[in-house]
Amino acid sequence: MPRKLRVWVDHTACVGNAMCETIATKSFRLNENRQSEAIDPPGDGEAAILEAAENCPVSAIFVEDAETGERLFP
Amino acid sequence: MLTQVQDDMFTPDVIADPYAYYGRLRDEDPVHWNESYALWVVTRHDDLVWLTRHHELFSSAVFKNDPRPPYPDIDESDLGLYEYVRNYQGEQFIQHDRPEHLEMRRVMHSYFTPKSMEAWRPFVVNAVKELLDAAEAKGEMDVMRDLATPLPVLVIAQMMGVPPEERGHVRRLAEKLLYIGRGDYDRMKPLTEGMRGMIEYVSPLVDRRIVDPGDDFISVLARGEKQGVFTRHQVLVNTSLLLLAGHETTINLLCNGTLALLRHPDQWELLKQDPAGRAKAATEECLRYDSPVKSIQRIASEDVEMRGKVLRKDERVRWFISSANRDPDAFPEPETFDIARHPNQHVAFGSGTHHCLGATLARVEGQEVFKALAERFPGLRLTGGELAYQPSITFRSLKSLPVTWH
Repeated sequence: MPRKLRVWVDHTACVGNAMCETIATKSFRLNENRQSEAIDPPGDGEAAILEAAENCPVSAIFVEDAETGERLFP
Repeated sequence: MLTQVQDDMFTPDVIADPYAYYGRLRDEDPVHWNESYALWVVTRHDDLVWLTRHHELFSSAVFKNDPRPPYPDIDESDLGLYEYVRNYQGEQFIQHDRPEHLEMRRVMHSYFTPKSMEAWRPFVVNAVKELLDAAEAKGEMDVMRDLATPLPVLVIAQMMGVPPEERGHVRRLAEKLLYIGRGDYDRMKPLTEGMRGMIEYVSPLVDRRIVDPGDDFISVLARGEKQGVFTRHQVLVNTSLLLLAGHETTINLLCNGTLALLRHPDQWELLKQDPAGRAKAATEECLRYDSPVKSIQRIASEDVEMRGKVLRKDERVRWFISSANRDPDAFPEPETFDIARHPNQHVAFGSGTHHCLGATLARVEGQEVFKALAERFPGLRLTGGELAYQPSITFRSLKSLPVTWH
């Protein structure tokens, strides 16, 4: 069983570059302000979600292990 | 409604102080039709954010989609050269819309992630140190000539895999490419020389990277060619884009930021008390207060209504970062230079899908320069001569910035 992730986007930092939505299409979508929102639960595997987080140009994406609270990104 | 506004955005007073002119437009007519240049001038922070995040309404393919002649005017005999510039610029990935833009950006995007750029910090620190060593030995410094101009070229040349003995050549080409953002009547000649020179210089480098790729930026683009995303001409043009886009903008951040710090002694004192701790927020405030890029253009892709005005399809739309970053609805006391400002949601790098690809690199260079200046030259001050700016609507570029520390 893959572990459950808690993913969120800091909207004071997000610039709507939308690369996350391109990389992990089932885990991020743009809201009405064209900022990214994490879809709960995320629909992509951990690798795609971490790749999306790493490719955020303003480091606005946070990823944690939902059970243990371990920070996986950044 | 604004009754009396002169529409010439290139007069000496507007070039010297864009904040008064565009600030007045922002307050009185935030979506303003400029008759002389036949373009919309958008000046509010919330409008800029909205506009840049609606890329489907505002095309970035400006060179391809705008048949009108360049502004300010050039000599008629230079129109042939301008065609060359148009074709060249039109191939840049930033001059594309989706879906091509996304495909092209994805090739390069992971090269510029915050994590990858952090790995460049030691190189930047060392380059700054060497440039400041040289200035210290000489006993004087023009921040523009001795620090801000060479630093980004050193970094980009390294990213391109240019050997040290060829850096001088790349630097001379880079200086010609700077004419892209200037309003000089005779700017086309040096600009096209720079563009042709870059193509000529980069071509054999690309040939080599196609067969023997490394971890440099040209290899990244060469991979894009192999994947069918880029043509060879696009690989060449986008390699020089790295020089074009990463040079003038960084120069302006470093010069305008240093100037703001030295003109606000209380803030310079604050930075000196804790250079390592405060350089990050200080760099953000430098980016906001006197932004490197003043404005960027789009072309309306369809009729769009903004603040009661109808922007017609194919009309030019210019959005002004320098007024948005001083918008009182977005920043408390916007005219105050406050290196601890928080939050600081400036739009110096734009926003949306075209948000500046090199933003993190610019930040790293700014942070390391301001930190090093505060640590090494606590007595730094302006020499007191008059400062002048390039006659550009795109860039906020000083012509020189002489300083002393004696």
